[in-house]
Formats: sequence, structure tokens, C-alpha cells
Amino acid sequence: MSASLFPQRPQRNKLLRSWTGPLTDKLVRVPGEFGLGQVPASSQPDATVPSVCGFCSTGCSLNIHLKIGEAINLSANNDYPVNLGMACPKGWESLTPLSAPDRATTPLLRDASGKLVPTDWQTAMSAFAERFGKIRDTHGSGALAWIGTGQIATEELALLGALGKFGIGIAHGDGNTRQCMATAVTAYKQSFGFDAPPYTYADFEESDVIVFVGANPCIAHPIMWQRVMRNTRSPEIIVIDPRTTETAMAATQHFAIQPKSDLVFFYALAHQLIEDGLIDPNFIGNHTADFEAFSEFTRDYPLSRAAEASGISEERIQNLAQLIGSGKRVSFWWTMGVNQSHEGTRVAQSLINLALMTGNIGKPGTGANSITGQCNAMGSRLFSNTTSLIGGREFTNPQHRAEVAEILEIPIERIPETNCYPYHRIIEGIESGEIKGLWVIATNPAHSWIHQGKFKSILAKLECLVVQDMYHSTETAEAADILLPAAGWGEKDGTFINSERRFGRFRKVRRAPGQALTDFSIFKLASHAFGCADLFEKWSSPEATFHILRKLSKNRPCDITGITGYDHLDQAGGIQWPLSKSQISNFKFQIPTERRLFSDGKFYHPDGRARFIFSAPTPLPEPTCSEFPFTLLTGRGTSAQWHTQTRTGKSAVLRKLHPASLHVEINSDDAHRLGIHNAELVEISSRRATITASAHVCTTISPGQIFLPMHDPATNLLTYPVFDPYSHQPGYKACAVSIRIAEA
Amino acid sequence: MRNLIDELLLEQATLQTPVARFSEKHDHDPDFASHYSQLIPLGKPQPGEQYAFEVNLDRCTGCKACVSACHSMNGLEEEETWRDVGLLHGGSAKSPYLQTVTTACHHCEDPACLDGCPVDAYEKDPHTGIVLHLDDQCIGCQYCALKCPYDVPKYSKKLGIVRKCDMCHSRLAVGEAPACVQACPTQAIRIIKVTPQEGISHPGNLLPGTVSSAYTRPTTRYIGTREIPRNAVPADQNHHRPEHSHWPLVGMLTLTQASVGIAAAALFFSNPFAALLLSTVICLLGLSVSILHLGRPLKAWRVFVGLKHSWLSREIIVFGGYFPLLGICALLAFPMFREQVFAIPEQLLRLAMIAMVFTGVLGVFCSAMLYHDTQRPFWHMARTGFQFTSTAVLIAAAACLPLTTSPVPAIACIILSVVKGFAATECFRAAHPSPLIQASHKLILGPLRRTFVTRLTFGFLGGILLPLISLGYPSLPLAVAALVITLAAETLERLLYFQAVVRHKMPGNIIPST
Repeated sequence: MSASLFPQRPQRNKLLRSWTGPLTDKLVRVPGEFGLGQVPASSQPDATVPSVCGFCSTGCSLNIHLKIGEAINLSANNDYPVNLGMACPKGWESLTPLSAPDRATTPLLRDASGKLVPTDWQTAMSAFAERFGKIRDTHGSGALAWIGTGQIATEELALLGALGKFGIGIAHGDGNTRQCMATAVTAYKQSFGFDAPPYTYADFEESDVIVFVGANPCIAHPIMWQRVMRNTRSPEIIVIDPRTTETAMAATQHFAIQPKSDLVFFYALAHQLIEDGLIDPNFIGNHTADFEAFSEFTRDYPLSRAAEASGISEERIQNLAQLIGSGKRVSFWWTMGVNQSHEGTRVAQSLINLALMTGNIGKPGTGANSITGQCNAMGSRLFSNTTSLIGGREFTNPQHRAEVAEILEIPIERIPETNCYPYHRIIEGIESGEIKGLWVIATNPAHSWIHQGKFKSILAKLECLVVQDMYHSTETAEAADILLPAAGWGEKDGTFINSERRFGRFRKVRRAPGQALTDFSIFKLASHAFGCADLFEKWSSPEATFHILRKLSKNRPCDITGITGYDHLDQAGGIQWPLSKSQISNFKFQIPTERRLFSDGKFYHPDGRARFIFSAPTPLPEPTCSEFPFTLLTGRGTSAQWHTQTRTGKSAVLRKLHPASLHVEINSDDAHRLGIHNAELVEISSRRATITASAHVCTTISPGQIFLPMHDPATNLLTYPVFDPYSHQPGYKACAVSIRIAEA
Repeated sequence: MRNLIDELLLEQATLQTPVARFSEKHDHDPDFASHYSQLIPLGKPQPGEQYAFEVNLDRCTGCKACVSACHSMNGLEEEETWRDVGLLHGGSAKSPYLQTVTTACHHCEDPACLDGCPVDAYEKDPHTGIVLHLDDQCIGCQYCALKCPYDVPKYSKKLGIVRKCDMCHSRLAVGEAPACVQACPTQAIRIIKVTPQEGISHPGNLLPGTVSSAYTRPTTRYIGTREIPRNAVPADQNHHRPEHSHWPLVGMLTLTQASVGIAAAALFFSNPFAALLLSTVICLLGLSVSILHLGRPLKAWRVFVGLKHSWLSREIIVFGGYFPLLGICALLAFPMFREQVFAIPEQLLRLAMIAMVFTGVLGVFCSAMLYHDTQRPFWHMARTGFQFTSTAVLIAAAACLPLTTSPVPAIACIILSVVKGFAATECFRAAHPSPLIQASHKLILGPLRRTFVTRLTFGFLGGILLPLISLGYPSLPLAVAALVITLAAETLERLLYFQAVVRHKMPGNIIPST
């Protein structure tokens, strides 16, 4: 490799031209070793270490370049089965947000004059324990709640969940995962008997027909799209999405269905598959239940009904049915276009039904596959002890409670026997005065919660708001009574579980600024402050906690007893659940790097059968009308933005890669009719608020719809608070708005 | 709990030494080699060939990893990026169109940056065709940034120089792929070898909204199976913002033009000393202020290196000659010297002055060519030449107001100001055929409105009203006021010249950040 193909730099006329010097040296590249190729001479590492990225659920491994143990740069890890040497811009910029000037470096306490002033940990934690303790003792544990996250380690989520419910006695806990994944969780639980996304990323490569519903992986999950591009089977790529997204452009077929006509559309597809005999009777007969009733139900959904609702011709829908029923490997993938809906659970299940009835599950290149959002939404789903009892169990099941009490060595009375409030009920509880103390960890609801204006106004009703975050500048942190400064990704150890159920390890490669502590440490401090430290003695470190989680997973569908520890995760390139001890003995030489569920056709319901679940579509909660004639769609703006941008907003490089201010996509015909020109400032109103944005006049959004990226704080002032009745996930994707030229 | 807090804080302040991969000293292929081996040419370019980027637009789907990877793998400044991803959109309701476009330096066959550089800080590598920048040669004049129609050279205030993509020259030299090629998850970017005729991928221009490729002959090839609709436009097309004011250049241009105009006017005076002195002072001020524009002024002595091709080099050299000539003329014209010390014959002085004025006019011509040569329509010779010349003449006329009792300067002022005023109000009249000039007009009437109105007001006051009064009631204060206000008006005109220009560039994002 060392021999040069051509002379380095020609260096002509050296007398009058400086070919070398201090400025030239700044950009010199040198062999980086460690298989890195050339690296900038200014940041040549003395060691490298892999760490899983802390943004999205793809779970890419980043190769952290270290100098004396501290991260100085990073590159994508080539030796990891998830990302195969690639990363998206957020991943590449992972270290930048750690150095932001608005990091919280010391605990803050709101003083008598209403100002947040620096304090020490002792004072802050005592105040926390005293105020929460007082509320609990006066009003009961039902007056306390926490809102967690999908952004911290599995071990931290588990400690928070156990501490909150079994230690402190906080009745209600939920996470921001409610905003993205709850629908998929409920759909899987009801259909499969357990919250179990069945796929592995290799399925992208092995599929003949890839159906994306309400998903834009080109920018939302670029590294998954990489896998689609690696598919050598010339797949049909079907995108079902009201907008012409980047992914829709790259697809072989795009179905721009009317917003929220999805359920009728998929029921009609099912009906057509049955009509045309394009189903897999063997699979249905052997591995599913309730198909007869479903078949009967779909009779009400002829093609004509779907065509009318969706705006797609009967012929195209029929052709799609033919394709799905062709016997090829068909995989269905969905994200927020399905999940964030007033009836998302049923929509997700309508896709699961399509996979089940055509036998497209458990085989390579198939599946009804929910792509997760946050880096550890999957960890939250299994171990956060919020919606389900830790380890994917039920609070209402005495057997489950007994198991947990025994494994954790805690008195069984400490385990609640009922389910707690989901996110929106917590919010309603605050509004009604029922909930008086709220602890927010690593999330920013004052920006992200649906109908945000209302959320902000009710925060004042709380007696005590404790916010635990990396930054003192988030909308929520600024409202806190007590701010606990947290270390971020890169400043602590732990594991994340990615979309394909893969445990991956991330590491501490930086010191947190000032007095910031890891979330794990803060929870440990809280256990002391609240006087329940003895319950968590064994939770001594993230890895010790990981071993507790292994025990909790035993004989559960998510059994990870076969993982021996963090080093095992490193050696194997991450490990997908399940991996029980008994499985380990089956894999003689090596654990396969890509494993999917249900290859044996056995589902997690007691009878081993998957369920066909369905119900009639319900009308849009806020339909358009003459006053608000447009449907507002919201979603991810660019690959460079992450949710409320508390981290991505800190990177100058990422800031260059997204619009500098809020823009609204409007169809050129609508714009023409309303006299709106491109780049002109417009006002968008819903029944809840009016905001302004710059018009992006285009053809990629259909007439009658407008689109706002979710990253701007103004967007959720407009959204309508409606929730899926089964999953309680908010329906961010459709509300009625009007649009007009802004008054100067 | 106190102990626990201390313990946890101590733990947080300690970095573990993870079991990391320590240095492997043996020759070890980079991990990525197998991934990118298909994306770079096997051998070095043959004579007549050069390296070029090839972008498969079917595969560019907007992940923007290339931008970040280039930034990290090349150790760029915090805000510096050498790659960018823009957006084209258009099409119809039936077939909507959207295309993200990754772009970096096009390593042109005829690089405008190289052509414009006064110190030869650019080199077109004879072996690879890569356009290299010599960071230590750069004086930070940023003329390359004005010349490049793809917005490639990026100026760093902190470093005082521009830097740009070098196609990871040193990586290619050892068979490694450039950072962007390595990092593209969908393999949309590759390095190919092209022979010059093949360089232009789309006849006319690279992509919708970009400059004619005839200007620099960019080598990047954009390929793909999707047809780009005729109505496709860059997403940032209506998002123009005022450009950098470049105030040292504003000052330098206005003052040198004033100086040349006044020096020329001196020819008409039997005693030219006062005019020459004024011209010299103004010129000194203009040239001094221009130095403030340079990021690395101490290296500026090398500006003659680019004389053969750079209008900036020529401008500096010519004004470098003009100023001493002007000074000498002023000295020779100093009445005491003229009569007692040198006893210079009148004809010789006149001859020297003619040579000096000729040099000055040549300097103004070089200034105009310098901007005309950027190919920006707003800076086309017709506009630039008119503005620069009229400034010189108008200020000369205004400067003559206090120096003479003749009505000619006042009348000249009024006529010129009316003509200039009329020309300036072009933006109010029918839409200009060039979309870039239309955009400039929008800027003038939009965010630059206040500057524009002030410029017109000053122009009217100093160039029309006061000269008109001075025709009836000549007075020194009035004449001086007219000169000062006119100078201010012309300075504002030059400010608008810089701020309202719209550059050629590659397709950008919706609402690009500044």
C-alpha cells in the first residue's frame, strides 16, 4: 500500500510558491493504522474502540478514535453486521454535541425568586427526595410520574423503572417511546403474543418485494436503505405514503394514498388476495387463528372502496395484490406514518395480517416489520418497567410479579398490580391536578408533545418538575424546578437494543463536563436520597445490571441468558435476542450474525398461533372543513436532524444540512390558487394555534395536504391531540389546517 | 450520600482504558478496501486523462453522509465542509420530481479559481488533473471564491485563507478512496478517469440552475436513469440573501475610481496641484483599505506571480504603478517645487500626468475586468464598466466644484447623476431576462432596500440638488458638501454592487443556512 500511484504534489516553482508550511500541515493525512486508512495528522489515534451510535434505532457501530483514552474522532465501523462500514451524518457527528456550550454542568435549583441557580448534588438530590416524598406521603404514589426515554442505556432504563416503581413508589411511568413505538408494541403483542419485531436487516437484501408504508428510510434510516441498495434480487420497491419522499422517488412503485386511507387500503388488499386465491392456506391453517372471521370481515372492503378512499385506481391496487400474492418473498416495513395515527395499531395489524395470510413471515426476505425510531426504544419496550412489567411481563399477572420479586429479591408488595397511566393520561393527570410531581429524563416533551401549547401551560400546575438532561437549554429543562445534569452518549457505558433486536455496546470515551453524572449514577444517587438503596445494591454498575437483566429474561421470548457479558457482545458484533443458554449449545461454532424470528411458525400466544386482528376503520378525528381545508402531515425533515434537535442542533456541519428555518411544503396547484409564491412567508392555522413558515412550493405533496418537519418547535403547536385507543400513541400525522400569505 | 457523590464524580472524571485495538504495525490494508476497490480506478490516469467524480443520481438519496465523513476524515474546521448536498425539484402532479445532489469541487479542466488566483496558489496536478490548493501560498484575497461558479473554495476567517476539496489526493495516491467515496452508503460517488472531451456530462450545464459548463469545463459526471424534468429547479432558487459586503473592496474601488477621475480632471487645470494632491490622498486611502481585505496580507508581495492570467494580479500591479506616478506628478506640480526646485517644463509635467492618468484608467479597466471575469451576470462588463467609469467621472466633477468657478462641473454632476439614477432604477422596471439579475433586483428592493433608498437620496442631494444650488449661489461649503455626499452615494452604490450580486452555484437546500 505504501507505494504511491503518482507523485504526491508536483511542487513547481518552489521559489515563489509555498508548497509547504504550517497551513499546509493542518490538512496533512497520515496512515491511521488500525485498518483506518489515512486519517488527519491532527487527530491520529493511539487506539480505537467500537461503540454503538446513540441516535437512531439502526444501531450502527462507530469506531471511536482514541488518544490517551479520550475520543478525538470517529469513523464508521467496518466490522459490524449492522452498518458494514457506513454511518449517517448524525453518527459521524456524534462527538460534537458533547462539547456544546450549553451542557448542564451542575445541578440547578429554582430559588424563591423563580430563577434556576447552581447548587451541589447533595442539595439537589435532597430537595428532589424531600419534595417528591412529601407529595407521595400527602397524595399517594398516584400523584407522582416520570417520563423517560428511548435514548439512554437499557441498564439505565431498567434501573429507572425498578427504582421508580419498586423503590421510590412512583405510580406512573412512561417514555417518549410512546410517541413513536407504542403502536408497534401493541400490534405485535396482540398479534404475536409478544412485542417481537421478527426481522433481521438481511431481510432487506433477501426480499423480492419490499413494501415501505409511511416510512422514508432514505433519510430516516439511511443505513437500512443501504441494505436495500445491496439487494441483488432486483426487488420491487413499493412505497405507500401520501408524499413523494426521497424513498418514493427511489422506489419502483409509489402509491400516494390519501392521508389515513391506509386501513381501508390494506383491508381491500387482503380482500383481493383472498378473492384471487393468493393466500397460503397451509400457513394460515397451521400457524394462525381467526382467519375465517377476518376473511368474512374483508368482504366489506372491495377494491372500489379502497380506490375511493385512497385515490389509487382499482387496477393499481389489484396489481399490487397480485405482486404481494405472487409467492415471491415479500416484506412489509413501516414507521411513523403507521404508528402515529388515531388507529395505528389496527393499521400495523392490517400489515401483519397481509404477511400472515401470504405466509410471508419467518422466511428470509419476509416479515411484518416495524422499524423502530430511537437508539434504545427496543430496550425501553422490554425493560423500562412502564407499560409492561420488566422483561416484557404483565403487572396484572400474579405469576409474572412473583418471578420478578424473586429474581430481584424485593418484597412482592412493592410491585404494582395494575397498569399505570400512559403518557397522555399522565399529562391529563397533571392538568386535573391529580399528578403533582413529574420527573423527565432525557426527553423534551415541551417541544415534542402533541398540541404543545397546552403541554407548556400545564407544566406550571406541577408542584415539582425534575428534569434530567445533558443540556440546560431544552424547552423542558428551562421549565424545571430541579435540573439534574446528565452525561451523554460517549460519556458512559451500557447497551442499546436496535430495531432488529440486537444488543450493542456503547462506551465511555469522554469525561462529562463539570459535575454531570451518568443517568445510571443519578439513579443510584436517587436510591440513596429516597432511602431505598438497599434494594438496588446488586445494581452496582451497568454491566452488573446487564446480568440482572439476563436473569429477568430467562424463559421469556427475549431470553438473553446465552449472552455472557459485554465482552461477548463485542466479540460477536452485537447479539440479537433471543439467545438463551440452550440456543448457545445449538450453535456449534458461531452465533449467526443475522437471525429472524418465527422460522418454526411458532408464535408467543399460548396456542402458538398468530392472531388476525382487525376492526372497522374510524373516521379522522379532525377532518378538513371549509375553514381548515388542508390536512397537515408532519415528519422527519432531513437525515441531519434528530427529533427536537437538542443534540443535532449543536453541530455546525449538521446545521448546514437542513433548512435554516421552518418551511412548509405545499402543492404548486394549491399555491397558485392561493397566490402563494415559493419562499414566501405563510401563516398556517389549526384550531389550536397559528404559526409562520416559508412556503416550499412543489409537486411532491398532493393537493389538499401540506407538510411540516417535526423538528421545529412551532410544528406541534398545530397538531391535534388524538390517541390510538389501544396503544395510546398520539396521531401526529393528520390534522386540519388552513394556510395563507402571512401579513407583512 | 456525600461519599457516594464524591465517588461517582471521581468515577466520571476517570477514563477507562478499554480493551482497544492497539497499533498493528504490519502493513495492513484499510478495513474499507474491499468496499471501495470497485469505486476507484485501477491505475493512475494516462497522459490526456484525469480523475473525476462520478455521481449516480439514482443512488444519491439524501443521506448526506458524504458531507460529514469528508469533514471528519479530513480534519476540517468546525464549520467547514467541502461537500454539500442540494436538492432539485419540479415535475408535475402526475410525476413529481425530487432529486438530492451531492457536490464538491468539480476539478475543472479550466479551473476559474486557478485562472483568477493572483499568487498561483492553485495547481492543476499534471498527473491526476486534481485542482490542488497551496494553503501556504494563499493570501486570502478570496477572488477564487468569486470566480468559482460552483461555490467551492471556502474562506476561513480564522485561518485567513481559503481551502477546498483535493479529491483526497493523498488517499488516491496510495490506492485509498476519497472520504466521500468511502462513506457513501449507497455507492453513489466514485472516481473515474475522463479524457477532457468527455468531461461535460450534460451538454450546456452540469445540472439545472448551474452555469454553462463552457466557463470552466467541470469534470464531474452526473449520471442516472431518471430524466430530469425541464422545469426542475434548485430548492434554494428563491432564497437569495445579501452577499458579504466586502467593505474593504467597496472602499478600495470607490476611492481608486475617485482618484483616477480627479487625476484626469487635473489635466484641465492650469494649476493641477490641488486636484492631484486630493487624488493622491484618496488613492492612498483606497489602497490602504484594500489590504484589510486580505486574510494573509504579509504574503501579498507575491501578487505579480499570477500576472499572466489573473485580472486581480493585473489590477494590483497597475494600481501599484499608478500610485507612485500620481505621487510624483503631485510632487512635480507642487507650486514651490515647480517654480524653485525642479523647474520642470510644463510639457513634461503634462506628459507625466497623461501617462499617470492612462495607468489609472487601465487600473479601473482591470478592476472592471476582474469582476466581469467572474461570469456573474450582475457584474457583466456593461454594468460594471458603466458603474466604475461613471463613479470616476461623477466624483471628478464633484471634486471640481470647490476648485473652480466654471459651471461645467455642476452641469456634468447633474447630467451624470440623472443618468446614474435612471440606471439604478432598472430594478423597478420590467423583469430582467436573467433570473440571477432578477434575484439581484429582488434583493435591492427587499433586504437591501434601505441602502438603496439612501443611495438614491444621497445621489440626488449630492449630485443634483446641491450642484443645482451652487450654479446660482456658488459657495465653498456647499461644494464640499456636494463632494462628500456624492462620495457617500457612490460608496453605497458599490456596497450594493457587492451585496446584491447573486452567485452561480450548485443546487442548494430549501432555506440554505448562511
